[in-house]
Amino acid sequence: MKSMVFITGASGGLGKAFAVECASRGWDLFLTDISETALSKLSTGLTNTYNIDVDHFCCDLTDFDSRTGLFEHLHEKGYAFSFLINVAGLDYEGPFAERTRNQIRTILRLNIEANLEMTHELIKLRDPARTFRIINVASLAAFYPMPVKAMYSSSKRFLLNFSRALGEELRSQDITVTALCPAGMPTTPACIEAIEAQGFAGRITTCNVGYVAAGTIDRALRGKSVYIPGTLNRMLKAVSTIVPEALVARAVGSRWSAAQCKRAAGA
Amino acid sequence: MGSENITNNPNHTKAIIEPEMRCLTANEEKVIVITGATSGIGLATVKEMAGRGAYVIGAGRSEERCRNAEQEVRKLYPDASVNYLTADLSSLAEVSALASNIRSRLSRDGKSAIDALVNNAGTVSSWYVSTVDGFELQFAVNHLAPFLLTHELLPLLERSQDGTVICISSGSHYRTRLHWNDIMLRKHYNTLMAYKQTKLANVMFVTELNRRLSAAGSRIKAFAVDPGLVNTDIGLKGTGGIVKKVWQLRSKGGTPPEQPARSVAYLVTEPAPRHTGQVYWKDCRPLKPSAYSRKPDAAKKLWELSERMCGIKAGSRGAGY
Ligand SMILES: NC(=O)c1ccc[n+]([C@@H]2O[C@H](COP(=O)([O-])OP(=O)(O)OC[C@H]3O[C@@H](n4cnc5c(N)ncnc54)[C@H](OP(=O)(O)O)[C@@H]3O)[C@@H](O)[C@H]2O)c1
Repeated sequence: MKSMVFITGASGGLGKAFAVECASRGWDLFLTDISETALSKLSTGLTNTYNIDVDHFCCDLTDFDSRTGLFEHLHEKGYAFSFLINVAGLDYEGPFAERTRNQIRTILRLNIEANLEMTHELIKLRDPARTFRIINVASLAAFYPMPVKAMYSSSKRFLLNFSRALGEELRSQDITVTALCPAGMPTTPACIEAIEAQGFAGRITTCNVGYVAAGTIDRALRGKSVYIPGTLNRMLKAVSTIVPEALVARAVGSRWSAAQCKRAAGA
Repeated sequence: MGSENITNNPNHTKAIIEPEMRCLTANEEKVIVITGATSGIGLATVKEMAGRGAYVIGAGRSEERCRNAEQEVRKLYPDASVNYLTADLSSLAEVSALASNIRSRLSRDGKSAIDALVNNAGTVSSWYVSTVDGFELQFAVNHLAPFLLTHELLPLLERSQDGTVICISSGSHYRTRLHWNDIMLRKHYNTLMAYKQTKLANVMFVTELNRRLSAAGSRIKAFAVDPGLVNTDIGLKGTGGIVKKVWQLRSKGGTPPEQPARSVAYLVTEPAPRHTGQVYWKDCRPLKPSAYSRKPDAAKKLWELSERMCGIKAGSRGAGY
């Protein structure tokens, strides 16, 4: 059996872009997300268009039992993998004090716990004959402490550090780990509106998902540890390394609240 | 818009042959389906056809906008037979569902055939957005949806004496080709490049459809309509930045949507265009479409790719095309 590419969050904007990119390279896919209808529509579209094998399994990645069900399914099928792309993640933007306990738990479970567990289990299911590639979707937010997105940016920081450390740890076992750190990507009409709300700054830091997915796969195949799509975004990241963090946090905070006001006014 | 005039009429520049504005008599009542019927050219076409006494099914993506459009048409023509159905044409499943809703609506109203299908719905997107099926949004709405909807409704069109399929294309199709290596421009997405490709795909689809239909001995004729520059909001939805600003300025100089609506009505109601063998029409006159659109092998390749994307088995329809 051919080895497959495993993608979480596969029916979201970036997940779909990864799925299409891999399909266009002729790779077989295993997709997971929370909506069965979305997964089956996407699977059909990809199978028809690219003549590849696609299997999917509906799973709530924030739920321990649901994940167990997923792993059992993988074992039963006897699949082997050569790629894991951890896309699933979420953000509850807004003042931390106003978030609910449930939101705090969910973001930790999805952005961190699920990612660690998927990585842990999929390494066991790697195709021993091939290099195993892991892509973790972090964010440009991983480089800054971001007010109003404090939980999110910190969870992405966690993924960035984890990816770098794990990459070193697994180097000798022919496993590569790539952290993708994109800025905002307009993947849905709502998202487009949010980016437009940030005005010019939002627009020029934005890259198309298709471009990002293709570029990330190329980087992963070369074993690159961090990929920041977009020249301007790489410059922004560079700024974060030379300017004191407190200052970056203040600047980022004021830009976001301005964008929020603009959005609220427009709504 | 860069059109080549093949009629060689020197007086042609501004004058438009007004199609005869006659109403249809009861026994020639046309059954017509129009997508994107909630604004712009589509809505104007619904009004034009309802005004001529046709039985019209309009399709839109928002239930509320459909309701409003239906009311607007009824206000103008209280006795009109106008019905709206909702479907988001970016989803292939919804395109198929729309087709079956059209079938049941027609059979409820005792109609056994469709005389004309007008594939008008179209969209512009500033960013690469992928649809539920994993396709690029403009490619899905502007090309795949007309392809699949036509395929689904062909048996009903076949039952008409003069079945007509119309795709609203654009003069922008002249200045592009299909980028086969990355047809949905995933890697190097550009709003206008993606849009122009879909409008070229419309002309190629119509051309290839005619080829296949006539080979199968069908009476159905397919046309692409170039509406010219029309003052609608198409460039303001799903866009931002420069694309939006440019459209705000440019569209003001366009014709009102009633003008292309009359071109559509002309092709649907007049027998003359059917015998010309011409596929591409602007202001009720045939024009020569781009050289690329006339390449038979490219059109065949696009057809086969679209079939695969829509999950259609080659030659699976009764029409035998
Ligand atoms: N305006 C021009 O100058 C021009 C020039 C050349 C060609 N065209 C073509 O003419 C056609 C009509 O455009 P228009 O200018 O009349 O634009 P419009 O006013 O924006 O109309 C487009 C129609 O398509 C509908 N639509 C968009 N996305 C859809 C989706 N995903 N599912 C279902 N329906 C959807 C819209 O619904 P909503 O009402 O809900 O938005 C609307 O009814 C398009 O094919 C366009 O490419 C226009």
